[in-house]
Amino acid sequence: MSRLTLAATLAITVSAAALSMPASAQDLVTRTLVGLPDAPNTLTFRLTAFDLYSSDDATREGFEALFTDFILARPDWKIETQLQTASIGQEQARILQQTLAGRGPDCAMIDSSQLALFKENGVLQPMNAVFSDEEVADLFPYVRDAVTNEDGDVLAWWWFTDLRVLYRDTSVVPDAPETWEELKAAALTAADAGKEGILFNGGRWEGTAFDWLANFWAQGGRLVEDEGVPVFAEGENREKFLAAVAYVQDLVESGAAPQRVSSIVNYDAFNAAAAAGTAAMFIGGNWQYGQLRNTLPEEDFANWAVSELPGPTADQRATGTGGWTIASLSDDPEKAAICGEIAKEIYAGPGNALQGLLPTSAALYEQYDAYEGPEFELFAEALQNGVSRPGAAIYPEISNQIQILLGDVLSGSSTPEAALDAAAEAVQGAFERL
Amino acid sequence: MTGFQKKTKRFGSRDPLPWLAPALLVLAAFYAVPVLDVVRLAFSDATLFRPPSSYSLNSFVDVLTSSVLPDVLITTLVFTGLSVIALQCVGLTIALLLVRGERRHLPGMASFRTLVLAAWVVPGIANGLIWQMLFDEAPYGTLNSLLGSVGLGPIAWLSDPTMAMLSAVIANVWQGTAFSMIVFYAARKGVDEALYEVASVDGANGWDKFWAITVPQLRLAIAANSILVAVQTLNTFDSILALTGGGPGRATEVLALFTFNTVFYNLDLSGGSVLALVLFALGLGFATLVFGWLRRDST
Repeated sequence: MSRLTLAATLAITVSAAALSMPASAQDLVTRTLVGLPDAPNTLTFRLTAFDLYSSDDATREGFEALFTDFILARPDWKIETQLQTASIGQEQARILQQTLAGRGPDCAMIDSSQLALFKENGVLQPMNAVFSDEEVADLFPYVRDAVTNEDGDVLAWWWFTDLRVLYRDTSVVPDAPETWEELKAAALTAADAGKEGILFNGGRWEGTAFDWLANFWAQGGRLVEDEGVPVFAEGENREKFLAAVAYVQDLVESGAAPQRVSSIVNYDAFNAAAAAGTAAMFIGGNWQYGQLRNTLPEEDFANWAVSELPGPTADQRATGTGGWTIASLSDDPEKAAICGEIAKEIYAGPGNALQGLLPTSAALYEQYDAYEGPEFELFAEALQNGVSRPGAAIYPEISNQIQILLGDVLSGSSTPEAALDAAAEAVQGAFERL
Repeated sequence: MTGFQKKTKRFGSRDPLPWLAPALLVLAAFYAVPVLDVVRLAFSDATLFRPPSSYSLNSFVDVLTSSVLPDVLITTLVFTGLSVIALQCVGLTIALLLVRGERRHLPGMASFRTLVLAAWVVPGIANGLIWQMLFDEAPYGTLNSLLGSVGLGPIAWLSDPTMAMLSAVIANVWQGTAFSMIVFYAARKGVDEALYEVASVDGANGWDKFWAITVPQLRLAIAANSILVAVQTLNTFDSILALTGGGPGRATEVLALFTFNTVFYNLDLSGGSVLALVLFALGLGFATLVFGWLRRDST
């Protein structure tokens, strides 16, 4: 046999073997499809860009492997993926609108703050077949309440949660402030040393309202009644609201926080400040701990610590909890089951561990080594004071008005009282039109 | 003229409908129907998730009597006014520089034109993000660091309400200048060079020629460009959304962004439709004013 004939024979043999083998992860996951194009059953899945299509190589590759295993175990199915943009409010509204018109995806990621709106509109289909009673019982209480209905149906799976914490450079602020006064004092000391004392979101975006709400909730304030009627500007709530506004206003006016906080509209700004060594403290998300560990030199990262958000008193604490859910929008039981299995087998367990996100079920913290760091003990402790955004259709407008109010107050364009009156009027008008 | 030509002309001029029908149908399908639907929704009680159940003037009353609307309109007029003036001035300046450079065969004129045009193809959201990075007020922010290196600043580009408006205008002008430049460049190329030569013979200097020849000759282009960039600016919200989100407070919340927020935060489709009609009326009103001025000027 000549070399040429041998090479040709080998090539044909290898090609034939390759055809008979299962496709690789790369073959089975494309920008719009998971699985083989000719699979008889199709599930459409609208997801965010933070995992399977993440810009972070390690995250993307990890999820590609998880999705590949998932689809290899279900050769009759393919998943058509549809990407959501970062404009969360608009994307979620579009999904709901399309679903009501019968054109929605079979399965979708729903932001936890929007879940109530989907429930209210009756578009979520039960995924009871996938989740046992024990698994549902193991969810954190606020998560369990959000994902189930009165009949105990599992209408969504909240696959990770997050919370806001105080980050501090311990070389500047050695002890964790526990009260608003302590935080202001520590920030002023840092400012005197040439640092930005405390940074937080203050621009026009959801993060501003969400982060600030912890100050309102810590006093026991309520945004809406059980029926969803806005009450944040009435009675005791009004006093608590104004006290929480006065706290951040004082931080800026005293120089504890720089004026620029009213233009901060993303959490990355805090990572940048930490990397530049210009900030002493910031209010950020728990997920930023891992980002700082990966970004900062080891000796710099060693200076950073996390603690619970300070409250008006050391005993009054709260933190906003968010996260994403996965829900079935298809009334086909088979599709609802596949959707639930995606949430359970890909995201809630290994997907969380892969990204270091916080599971919503206590058992998963024991199951994965990824949750062994001391920071997770602090996160778990802080979650005891976790408050999620109200599941009311008016919440997006309340958030919008809080963003406007804080911007006006922090930039000196309005007094807290006048800004609150304007916000209450706008929210009431929007509520009546809903 | 032959009999056939006469017949053809008569047919076309007396009965243009068959010739225009396809274009009218396309326009109706893609423009008139959506506009009429917005009008219908404006009279309804529709939300983003609930179809209309009744029709009334309630949404008009609610929106037009809102205490927020006057502030939003003022912000819109300031943003549009400053942008239109700046776009005209910068666009005209660059166009005249290009023509002058080309006339003198200066090297690099094509590259200069391409550079200006490059900003035009940047999407609005990306434009907002680019300028957000430049205007970053952190101690390491780009523009403030540059200013600091020459002993100036720092400037509260985005956290001060007045500066935030100026920053939004700068971002809009940076992106929109290319369009104005193209319009003025084309118009200036159409001006007869003999006019400038005669003016030179008469002893006119550059400034005289600009006011006596260039501006009058570009009058139509200036009017048309005013309308186009004004309407374009009135509809701008994506770059502001990315740059300031409309903040701080409502300092940069223009009407288009307010409309977007009304629909996607308030979920108020009918209120958003009323605001869209207000936006439409503003654009139409401005166009009518400019054309009225042109007509009066020409008579």
